[in-house]
Amino acid sequence: MHNSKAHIWFIAPAIILMIIILIFPLFLAGGISFTDYNLGNKTFEWVGLENYDKMFNRKTYVKMIWATATYVIVVVPISVVLGLCAAMLLNSLRFGADIYKTIFFLPVMATLLAMAIAWEFTLHPTLGIVNSFLANGCGGVREFILGFHWLPWVDSQESWYAVACANNMDFPYWLKQKNTAIWTVCFIGIWQAFGFNMVLYLAGLTSIPRELYQAAEMDGAKSTWEQFKLVTWPMLGPTTLFVVTITTIRTFQVFDTIEILTKGGPSKTTYVMMYAIFEKAIQQNLTSIGAAITVVFIGFILVLTFFQRYVIEKRVHY
Amino acid sequence: MGTISLKNISKSFGSTQVLNNLNVDINDGEFLTLVGPSGCGKSTLLRIIAGLEQQTSGDVLIDNKNVNRVRASERDLAMVFQSYALYPHLTVRRNLETPLRLRDYNGFERLPLIGNFSPSKKEKTESINQLVNKTSETLKISELLDRKPGQLSGGQRQRVALGRAMVREPVAFLMDEPLSNLDAALRVHMRSELSELHNSLKTTFVYVTHDQAEALTMSSRMAVMIDGNLLQLDTPQEVYDNPSSLSVAQFVGSPKINIFKGTADSSGTISFLNVNLKRKSSESNTDLHIGIRPEHLEITNERNENTFSGTVAYRENLGSDIFFHVNIEDGSNKIIVRGLPQFTHQISNGSSVNIKRVSDKALLFNQAGMRVQFTNA
Repeated sequence: MHNSKAHIWFIAPAIILMIIILIFPLFLAGGISFTDYNLGNKTFEWVGLENYDKMFNRKTYVKMIWATATYVIVVVPISVVLGLCAAMLLNSLRFGADIYKTIFFLPVMATLLAMAIAWEFTLHPTLGIVNSFLANGCGGVREFILGFHWLPWVDSQESWYAVACANNMDFPYWLKQKNTAIWTVCFIGIWQAFGFNMVLYLAGLTSIPRELYQAAEMDGAKSTWEQFKLVTWPMLGPTTLFVVTITTIRTFQVFDTIEILTKGGPSKTTYVMMYAIFEKAIQQNLTSIGAAITVVFIGFILVLTFFQRYVIEKRVHY
Repeated sequence: MGTISLKNISKSFGSTQVLNNLNVDINDGEFLTLVGPSGCGKSTLLRIIAGLEQQTSGDVLIDNKNVNRVRASERDLAMVFQSYALYPHLTVRRNLETPLRLRDYNGFERLPLIGNFSPSKKEKTESINQLVNKTSETLKISELLDRKPGQLSGGQRQRVALGRAMVREPVAFLMDEPLSNLDAALRVHMRSELSELHNSLKTTFVYVTHDQAEALTMSSRMAVMIDGNLLQLDTPQEVYDNPSSLSVAQFVGSPKINIFKGTADSSGTISFLNVNLKRKSSESNTDLHIGIRPEHLEITNERNENTFSGTVAYRENLGSDIFFHVNIEDGSNKIIVRGLPQFTHQISNGSSVNIKRVSDKALLFNQAGMRVQFTNA
């Protein structure tokens, strides 16, 4: 048994493929990140950590890290929580659950490119449906609700909505404005991510034995909240872990919406890592700096994976 | 106190009628078994008592209070589920604590961290700990308290599930086939433990099972249910000796009761095979079913007008008893006869044997399956 070499033949194809298409390019990228090599150059020189130094000191790259972090930190928790809420609501519905499932899942199935273009029109500062909806609502119920006039501490003359109405319909330019662009992109990110999370949670919910809820009821867990705390949330632990990991990795990889809607602008507020890699390495042919960003990107993903594998996994599996 | 009364309970799922106008009065401290073949509605009835299912019509009274509109968590009953339904993410100790924490702590005290600032919480925690320790000692699970349900064997999980029900001293225990997931030896062992537990707790037990042996061995009274109807509610001995109908007679007792086709003539004399019974039927001129339990038949060497003969098809040796599956000569019946090993060791498959009855043990049923009495004369 131990003298046989047959096992090598069985695993060799997979290993060779993995080395060629995964491990070798990774090390190549790692190597290039320490040089000044650009695609097409005949020679290169070792520049040590210069590329990394640029990344952490130049304003552009600091902004890149900020944009990526903001996007991930906003999109992951909100889309996970929304996905869970939607799944629980749908799970309690007797009729029409399938229709809602389809509606919420559509953004996941649809071509992101087409969806992004649709969003671009929707959010257009002058022609878009969003701003015309807001403009038509000046002085009405829309202003009351969206201007937060119902909150006791909001002055109905000073709210953002009232100010915009007073200033000749000066509503936000959404994707074209420094202080709103990243949040608008986040909103679109949540919109497309939560349907997927909802489906995963729906699967998780159906696998919870009904008897556990009945046991909780007999034990005196009266409110829905008590039952959620005692049964639903702990039983969804493995699902949550999976959902959070997948969503985090996917949000780190956000690219298509940025490329179509903002191209990283205005003034780099939506300059996320994946887009930066594309812009530097492909568009500007600065291969070495692109490689350095890639290495940092992989670093983030690795840290995340290890955290998930060794820290959280122990707590959610029993 | 723990009396439970069910008045005219009916339940239907859509057009399927599951329970048909049931009336049961369960006394305080009684061990009542609901027994019947699967699908007879016994679990549904238990869940209606628990409040997990709403009856279509009828009333449930606990301690003479109508609880139709009281939800399960407020009926103060405890339930042991077939699958045990332990919380897999909590240790055994936390599983046992859960019903107490949910009832004794108020909303503020259940909050993480800041809940500990409540002045009364410490006292309550101590009493919870004491109760958990006491229960775990009773059930001999003290050394398991820090494990999680996934690390326990089936029997241990069963005990924890019992413990979770016991810990808060409810009005009554409801048990839904709690032993059916255990292996045969453990099941027999747990029967005696449950009976002992019932004797020491003196609380009302309502126990659902499809196993007539469990019902016979443990209960003070058993309710036999078939197809959503309550057929008989009596002590196990009475149900066994004096079944009210053919279905009850066939369901209770293992091996099954032997049923012969017979007739009663105009004078009420009952005959089946080549045999006439001494006692007379109260119904005359009709076809009857005559039921005789395997232990009321004997293998004998005599051959006369009171015996009948057949061939042994299968010899089932249980050690203490041997059951002979016998094909009757005329081919009409296949019956089971009990024999004692010391008298029947030489009989093997294929032997032909004579069978006689133990007198005064036959049971009569009419064509509709209802019990027919003998006349006193």
